Amino acid sequence: MADKILAGEKKVKRHGFSVRVVHWTVAVSTFLLIFSGIGQLPVYRRYMLDRLPGLAWTSDFSVTLAIHYWAAVLLILAVTYHLVYHGLRRDRGILPRRGDVRQSVRIIMAMLGQGEEPENDKYLAEQRLAYAFIGFSLLLLIVTGLVKVLKNLPGVDLGADIIFWVTALHNAAMVLLMLGIAAHLAAFLFKENRYLLPGMFTGKVDLDYVRRRHQLWYRRLAQKGR
Amino acid sequence: MPGFTRREFFQRAFAAGLAGGLVLSGLGKQAGAAGRAPVGTVIDLTRCDGCRLAGVPACVRACREENQRRFPRPVDDIGNYWPQKKKEDWSDKRDLITRLTPYNWTFVQKVEVEHGGKLYRLAIPRRCMHCDNPPCANLCPFSAQRKTPEGPVVIDPDLCLGGAKCRQVCPWGIPARQAGVGLYLKIAPRFAGGGVMYKCNLCYDRLKAGRPPACVEACPRQALLIGSKERMRALARERAGQVGGYIYGERENGGTSTFYVSPVPFEKIHAALMQQKAAQANPSAPGFPGMPVGVGNYLDSVNGLALGMAVAPVAGAVAAGVAAYRTMKGDE
Repeated sequence: MADKILAGEKKVKRHGFSVRVVHWTVAVSTFLLIFSGIGQLPVYRRYMLDRLPGLAWTSDFSVTLAIHYWAAVLLILAVTYHLVYHGLRRDRGILPRRGDVRQSVRIIMAMLGQGEEPENDKYLAEQRLAYAFIGFSLLLLIVTGLVKVLKNLPGVDLGADIIFWVTALHNAAMVLLMLGIAAHLAAFLFKENRYLLPGMFTGKVDLDYVRRRHQLWYRRLAQKGR
Repeated sequence: MPGFTRREFFQRAFAAGLAGGLVLSGLGKQAGAAGRAPVGTVIDLTRCDGCRLAGVPACVRACREENQRRFPRPVDDIGNYWPQKKKEDWSDKRDLITRLTPYNWTFVQKVEVEHGGKLYRLAIPRRCMHCDNPPCANLCPFSAQRKTPEGPVVIDPDLCLGGAKCRQVCPWGIPARQAGVGLYLKIAPRFAGGGVMYKCNLCYDRLKAGRPPACVEACPRQALLIGSKERMRALARERAGQVGGYIYGERENGGTSTFYVSPVPFEKIHAALMQQKAAQANPSAPGFPGMPVGVGNYLDSVNGLALGMAVAPVAGAVAAGVAAYRTMKGDE
């Protein structure tokens, strides 16, 4: 996934194939998990979603639970892949750094027309923070979810207190994750951020955009290209 | 169990390490780590006659008296379950004893079944089976329901929001919902929550105090028995052997704490019950369970996926290792 300037195309290679596959696997499995997870609250029948054409299955717990389990397998697969892959490669670009909160405020203010945006690296400070927040929520959901899977097995008794707290944490982490995803998507309300979107589909982003906004990253790439 | 008096039963069962004796007497706390013996019950249909001569079966009466203080006391103005135009309110049917309701945690079904050329009139006390791996408790989204180490499955009425998922995943649809009571009233009663679920808790407080459940104590024919689960299982088998009968509850839903013994196959009982249910004014109304033989556990299929959860991280790590090695080699 070597990032590089593709001068001929006026693009910059931002994400390799496996990063994109992992991103979309996490996105799809997380969507399925949230939908089927909300379905574990008996709400689709109550609010009559199951009466809409083709959605009768939404109030069948045997279906939504199976979706939840399968999607969890997919998410765990993608998350372990992500952690091991980038861990082995020592990729640290997306991890939060000191001063990221202050810098995020500056970036957002700049997008609102207030002040100058700081020089950015490959990832914006707010992207690094969002990654940590969503990553933490996902890990909390996975760990508590695994305990819940264990608890469902016959002959496993974890004790009422542990089960109560694990359930509460799982539910709370889902709320955190939904907030994180909402913020992640809300970022694209800003036009300036939309230049990043093609990166998650084709792996490439516009060269001019990188030169203009991701100066730190651009300089490093340019130096490497020499 | 012929010639087996209740007194003898308690002597044998409790003395032989019955949960009620050790675990539930309070000594259980100290004995906790050493392992609490879960309780089981036998419901002997060769003995139960539904208290033919009494207006209300003794077990039903005793249960209602014992649990009177636990019965729901809903608010006066109970709202519908928005956006639906209905609610589950049994408060004007408190005297109903012909099905399970929030105010009636056990009842007696009566069926006539022909078997081996003979007509049997059976009275079948019904209540929660207290399953070994209860989907009601496991799948409660707020863990308001739990399987106790002593065996009973209990609902926390202060935490239950009345979504009634537990009833949907119970093979017998046992828990009964009452609207207008419980935690949901303090949140957004019009828009979310439905009340509190109620069902038999095997008189958990009495068990912990070393006493048998009220129904067991009240049964005049010793058709209801309680003791250590394994002892009850053995008793049920012994009794079924004596009468050439059948057992229900031993493997249903992955195993339960309740062992019915019947002189006729439960398939026939179930068919008769379903026939009765179909003839009711509202056949889809909850609280009238059948006896489906060998019914599976709601969690059976997803538990099969648990292995996938264990394999997924290994597969992910191996694939990542290969991919990382290849890209790093490429980088260099």
